[in-house]
Amino acid sequence: MTSTFPYLTTLILLPAGAAVVIALIPSAQRRLVQVVGFVASLAVLGIASAATVAFTSGYGGYQFVSSHQWISVFGISWSLGMDGISLFLVLMTGLLFPIALAASGERAADKSFVAWILVLEAGCLGGFLALDLLLFFVFFELTLVPVYFVIAGWGHERRGYAAGKFFLYTLGASAFLFVGILALVAIHASQTGVTTFDVRALTDTHLSGTAGVLLFLGFTAAFAVKMPLFPFHTWSPDAYREAPAAGSLLLAGVMAKLGAYGIIRFDLALFPRAVVTLAPLLLSLGAIGIIYGAIVAAVERDLKRLVAYSSLAHLGFIVIGAFAISREALTGAVLQMVNHGLYTAALFILIALLYKRLGTFSVKEMRGLQRRMPVLAGVFTLVMLASIGVPGLNGFVGEFLILAGTFLTHRWWAVVATAGVVLAAVYLLWAYQQAFQGKPTIEAGAVHDLSWREGLTLAPLVILIVLLGIFPGPLLNRIGPSVTQVVTHVEVVAHQRPPQVGSPGVALRTTGAQR
Amino acid sequence: MKLLAVLTIVTPHVNYVAILPELILIGGALLLLVSGQLVFAKIPTAFYSIGSGAIAAAALVASLVIWHDVQARGPFTTIADSVAVDGFAIVFLVLVSCILILASAIANDFLVREGIDGPEYHVLALLAGSGAMLMAAANDLILIFVALEIMSIPLYILAGMDSRRRESGEAAIKYFVLGAFSSAIFVYGIALVYGATGSTNLPQIASYLNTNIITSNGVLLAGLGLLLVGFGFKVSAVPFHMWTPDVYQGAPTPATGFMTALAKAGGFAALLRVFFSTFGVLRTDWQPLLWAIAIVTLLLGAILGLVQRDVKRMLAYSSINHAGFILVGLAAATSQGISGSVYYVFVYAILVLGSFAVITLVGGKGDENHDLDAYRGLGRRQPVLAFAFALLLLGQTGIPLTTGFLAKLYVITAAVRAHSYALAVIAMLSAAIAAAFYLRLVFLMYGVKLPVGSGGDEGALSLPVTGEPDDGLDPTGSVPTGVNIGRVVVPVPTAVAIFVTVAVTVVFGIWPGPLVDFVHAAHFLF
Amino acid sequence: MSVSATWYLTLAAVLFTIGAVGLLVRRNVLVMFMCVELMLNAANLTFVTFARRLNDIAGQTAVFFVLVVAAAEVVVGLGIIVSIYRRRPGATADDLHGLKG
Repeated sequence: MTSTFPYLTTLILLPAGAAVVIALIPSAQRRLVQVVGFVASLAVLGIASAATVAFTSGYGGYQFVSSHQWISVFGISWSLGMDGISLFLVLMTGLLFPIALAASGERAADKSFVAWILVLEAGCLGGFLALDLLLFFVFFELTLVPVYFVIAGWGHERRGYAAGKFFLYTLGASAFLFVGILALVAIHASQTGVTTFDVRALTDTHLSGTAGVLLFLGFTAAFAVKMPLFPFHTWSPDAYREAPAAGSLLLAGVMAKLGAYGIIRFDLALFPRAVVTLAPLLLSLGAIGIIYGAIVAAVERDLKRLVAYSSLAHLGFIVIGAFAISREALTGAVLQMVNHGLYTAALFILIALLYKRLGTFSVKEMRGLQRRMPVLAGVFTLVMLASIGVPGLNGFVGEFLILAGTFLTHRWWAVVATAGVVLAAVYLLWAYQQAFQGKPTIEAGAVHDLSWREGLTLAPLVILIVLLGIFPGPLLNRIGPSVTQVVTHVEVVAHQRPPQVGSPGVALRTTGAQR
Repeated sequence: MKLLAVLTIVTPHVNYVAILPELILIGGALLLLVSGQLVFAKIPTAFYSIGSGAIAAAALVASLVIWHDVQARGPFTTIADSVAVDGFAIVFLVLVSCILILASAIANDFLVREGIDGPEYHVLALLAGSGAMLMAAANDLILIFVALEIMSIPLYILAGMDSRRRESGEAAIKYFVLGAFSSAIFVYGIALVYGATGSTNLPQIASYLNTNIITSNGVLLAGLGLLLVGFGFKVSAVPFHMWTPDVYQGAPTPATGFMTALAKAGGFAALLRVFFSTFGVLRTDWQPLLWAIAIVTLLLGAILGLVQRDVKRMLAYSSINHAGFILVGLAAATSQGISGSVYYVFVYAILVLGSFAVITLVGGKGDENHDLDAYRGLGRRQPVLAFAFALLLLGQTGIPLTTGFLAKLYVITAAVRAHSYALAVIAMLSAAIAAAFYLRLVFLMYGVKLPVGSGGDEGALSLPVTGEPDDGLDPTGSVPTGVNIGRVVVPVPTAVAIFVTVAVTVVFGIWPGPLVDFVHAAHFLF
Repeated sequence: MSVSATWYLTLAAVLFTIGAVGLLVRRNVLVMFMCVELMLNAANLTFVTFARRLNDIAGQTAVFFVLVVAAAEVVVGLGIIVSIYRRRPGATADDLHGLKG
């Protein structure tokens, strides 16, 4: 905090600038492109780590806040800030991007691929750091373009279809977010006379019940599609399946978190009363997502689609944690966002490695791989156990906190979600058993085990999966205070009568606004 | 006879400076037309293009002079109150001048390529430009009608300019018949409004409406409806859009771009002035109508655009979708909505000029290479051109950090402030649908490999990929026969024009202050 | 017997409708063109009638503008028609089918 280094602005502008630099390098200079791209993403990781070190633990408000006027006509400002909720998401983003580049092999030397990945990094970081709603929206939308190009340009057979479906679903849903943001700001402006998109100021907007619910639904539609939350998930198996490894990894690891983060940061802060009113609905969707994702994953034989459905289940947990409105559950949800990013990234990399060796994603065509690739199988087992939520690995901590917290406030949903944990064990172990055990169908020596380079790419993820399972304390200390603030805010606003400060005129205008 | 005897006709005072830009364009056009006959040597096409650009630049300077004047002394009217010189008019004077300058650069290369000699193209463009300017400044329904015709008639001819292509003549005649039809409807609307209010002068109509409380005057409302039909044709709002795709496809490509930008500018300028400024009192009558028109325009443009194979037709439907967005600003019927519409027109005119400039180049000699397949692999053959086109398309999609996004933000904000949430949501959903066809084009440019040996491939995507799954599964872009995928020739003037449009789109998308402030000056006199 | 203004307005409206319907149903481009003229002149008649009823000269001057514009339209329209049909026989709108999507 003593330093005045503009961590957050640098975090966003560095990858964006690097993307521009790469765009200017002649594409024949493949090594240069690869080095610049990788170094830039490592530098972002460095800055994110420095910000983590400089982050004041035990303080729940925004830190490193930087505010500049951007488009004064519309009241849009470049305001960035970081709190315990965004801190580790930023750090995770910083970590996953260099890993994604490292896992992309020769592709990490394709000029446009690297440039788009860096643009995506800037967009994701901007989304996690923006305190201005419209700035958030700008980054939220901006991430679509690079993902579209990454899927469409470097994806699998049906990449055009998958990329288009992904883009249209998300863009269509953000129509509601866009109008919702503008409506919220209009209501705020009619109450205070100030046009601002600053989320800290908008928190004080007085919304009537219906207006709050409608705006909440508008915002949540966009976030739910981005995550994805059942039943808005139909794009995700296609997009995850057809994207290149780096694309799937970043989609599931980072982009999905943008949606979940939006729910925690904006829904809970801006519409506390609507959140309490509609919590049963969202909790049910989360619970259905858990069960549905698990069941479909159990019959899915395509590994990438399987992970897509298991992601749906895990994001269901996060949604339950967010809407349980208890400190433990929300802490667990934030932690689980980071954990899910880590083990899903590792899973996608492992699946890509299998594909490279076997040329298929289908579990049916894999058998006895354990015998042929013992190290890879070992890593796979570990990551899979983390995904199931076995104690001692990182997946456990988040899920446990969510379930414990939800049990306090919404008992029956917690019970259903627990069933999901059991199902997760079933489908993952089943898939593992099919692919890795039994009599090998491929001859010895036909495939090689994990190479040192592949191992090095996976190492940070594996280390963190183990480490965070054993010592989640440092994270919880930093996440806790911010989560407490959010939960307190929701409880104070929601369980109070509507504030008495509003004049009759204000009330009239807000009721007029819901028409 | 009795009528004439009692009235003495006074010649109105004419403030020539106030209509200087229009005079420069008309005079310049005539000068250009005869200049070819004054010298005996054959004048190269470039001379006319430079001349046309210079005339437009002079009109731009004159517009800025008037702007300075208006800022110092306030808005005023001239020629018996039939011409208004206010901020609103001047924004459009500047826009039309810019359109003309860019269009003359783009047209030059086209005319040279297609061997269409002579000054006619530029003369007609300048005349149409003067009509569009007059439409923005006109303060009298009759003058709006005359200006509309001054703008439209040259555009009919421009659409049929490329006499060797059958489609060009067909486009001209379709445009002409439907244009004349809409003009006739428009005039009849004027006559009815005149009958109901006793004047064709906009401020006088407005003051009549303000002093007399009119409840459901059938003649007036019918007149207003017919005016809306007439404008609807010009700006291609559904259900008056039938001509748009055919004319866009058939007209010579640079003329299509010019026509789109100019007709939208002129048409919307007059539409906004008449409906908001003059008939603002009756807004409860026309708002629901505009609301409905805006919705069908938005949706039809976006949905039909999806099924087009011809790029020019696709952009025709996209222009219908954009017209819907501009109507959203008017349907809000607030000054913020009007500013939004003006900003949208400004931004869209620049975007569409740039887009059609690229299409002109890709169209190649004969102006026929407009199938979507012509864009396959353009990203690898000519990365700079493709990237510029991609940016223009993303701008039209409304992706953040482009002017297109801010334009949508502007009109949607106005709609939300006017509590028309449904319209706002439908508009944004239509933008999402429209995004599909813009992206398809972008995807074609970047997503598909070229057949082996077609050159220009820097190997970015075709190198063996080792660290990754899924190589070799690429459907190598099977380019249908008959589609020319040779290298697109990019002449310097067009390249500069495209660069300018892209720069405007991106620079003012990130740093919108100056353009927004300028458009904010677009206040009506009345 | 004096004819009231309403009759003129009704006549104009009928002429306008005939013109509009004619333009939509007839397929011969020249006839369509004549229909447009009919519509314009219906508007002119309306202008004159209203000018007389309002005792205002502006409506009568408007007619001159409309006439001039109509003349200009005729020139250009016939020019376009001639330039097209020089190269093909017949003049019906159904022959124009090169453009469709």
